[in-house]
Amino acid sequence: MILKLSIPGRLITFLLTIIVLLWFVYPYAWMTLSSFKDNREIYNPLTLFPNRFDFRYLIDIFSGKYIDLKSALLSSFLISGTQAIGSVLISASTGFILARYRFPCKQLVFLLSISLIILPRQALSIPIFEWMTFLSLNGGYSSVILPGFASGIGILFFMQVFKNLPQEYLDMARVEGASGYRIFITFLPMVLPAIATYGVIHFILAWHDHLIPLLLLDDSKRTLPLALATLYDPSQRVPQAIVMGASTLMVLPVAFLFGLFYRQFKSAISEVLVH
Amino acid sequence: MKPDAHLPRLSPLSGILLLGPFLLCFALFWLMPLIWGLDLSFRTNGLYGPGDFIGLENYRFILEDPLYKKAIQNTAIYTICSIGIIIPLGFLLAHLIRQSFTKLQPILTFCILLPGLTPPAVLSILFLLFFHGDQGILNRMLIMPFGMEPINWIHDPQFIMGSLIFQSVWRWTGFIAFFFLCGMDALPKAYTEAAKIEGSGPLRTLFQVTLPLVKHIIIFALVFLFVDAFSMFSGAYSLLGGSGGPGNAGLLLVTHVYHTAFVKGNFGDSSAIVFTIAPVLFLIIYWIIIKPPIKFSNYRD
Repeated sequence: MILKLSIPGRLITFLLTIIVLLWFVYPYAWMTLSSFKDNREIYNPLTLFPNRFDFRYLIDIFSGKYIDLKSALLSSFLISGTQAIGSVLISASTGFILARYRFPCKQLVFLLSISLIILPRQALSIPIFEWMTFLSLNGGYSSVILPGFASGIGILFFMQVFKNLPQEYLDMARVEGASGYRIFITFLPMVLPAIATYGVIHFILAWHDHLIPLLLLDDSKRTLPLALATLYDPSQRVPQAIVMGASTLMVLPVAFLFGLFYRQFKSAISEVLVH
Repeated sequence: MKPDAHLPRLSPLSGILLLGPFLLCFALFWLMPLIWGLDLSFRTNGLYGPGDFIGLENYRFILEDPLYKKAIQNTAIYTICSIGIIIPLGFLLAHLIRQSFTKLQPILTFCILLPGLTPPAVLSILFLLFFHGDQGILNRMLIMPFGMEPINWIHDPQFIMGSLIFQSVWRWTGFIAFFFLCGMDALPKAYTEAAKIEGSGPLRTLFQVTLPLVKHIIIFALVFLFVDAFSMFSGAYSLLGGSGGPGNAGLLLVTHVYHTAFVKGNFGDSSAIVFTIAPVLFLIIYWIIIKPPIKFSNYRD
């Protein structure tokens, strides 16, 4: 079948596959396999496979010798998951009415959504810190979760999604006598790919968030990026394999989620981008 | 936005249920911090919290700080370079993937999305080992065989920015290429076929037919990358730890804000920094999204 492709096509395929594998995939493969190597092997990045698969580094990571992995994983999951769910609901409802209804101050609401994008949460991290201290939420999970609910790109995304919904469905629902919020609840299942897509995107962004958890969380509630940052030690007291292992464990859940929802992801993005 | 006379009116109950949560979260967790921050920027740092009102004193102080100028310079270079590399590369990558073997395309697409899943913290550590002064793979394979001195990527001030930009490129190129891919797939074949009939070569078709048709994706990519670059903290923090590194070559804006607030203990100045930048950001993104000087949407209206 590959022979059906023209010669330039075959050449491009071949070169591209090599480049993609080397450039995009090799670092991951190397990182994962490095969890099993000792320091000497790691410092020679040309060796991909370890001489001997040394599992003791993995055991050390899970036993909590260097970082409290279980608590960090739990913390990250809790924060990212709750943020994703809340953000999806809020963005979807706002996007829905922005796309399909008119109401007073509609332009203002649209402008507010845009301003959410313009000033990212990182820029407001200091005032958020002060504000959370004022509300006595400082240190707990809610101080990180709550600011993450309002999301500008989410609203724009769902606006596009609901604009693409065929008018007939909405007319049918209205004829049946349903009004605003009932129509919304009815049509949520129809946009499931978009919900999955945005949920995953928001989950990933929250998973990677460093500054706000750094400022607001207690040491006991550290998320994974924070825990990993404590491992980085120029004086080499921590075996690099531990760092590599912890890094792999940080990427794994996200990669798994992503792979799970990949199909929905692709179809939702294609739909939204067609306009 | 087009006039919405044809859209139905929202009943008050639905309005409260559907709009309420957003307005509540917006007011509580974005607007209040914004106002608080603004207020903070006008005060000194008291013993137990914000101190006395001193007007624009903080602003005057920070604008004269050489670190401030350095941070802005660094962030600007970082933003412009990463955007300037990622968007063209992503576009080309998407085009190349579409030219390759059809059955292989989904796998390739998945692979290029993988870097987007890496937390910047992990990326820094990973690239630390790749860029390591003596043993890193880049030096081993590309520099030393040519007989040149190994470059100390991390600790040489000239290359810190390069490594940060490199990280950003590695992370986002595939993601942006994916968006271009989806956009290109959605284009009606008629355009490229017509161009081929008219005798246009592949390169010309690419740049004069396909490229204008994906302009809306370019805008989206611009905004996305711009905001991401300006708010970059995790990568620089994991690499350099809260400061700017040697010669402050790695000092980005958010790092400077963090440093002023939590290392120097100066909350008022820190807020002031944010509010000097905010209007600029606002203007730039406003110019990109809301008021494009060129008509970007060709086949919608």
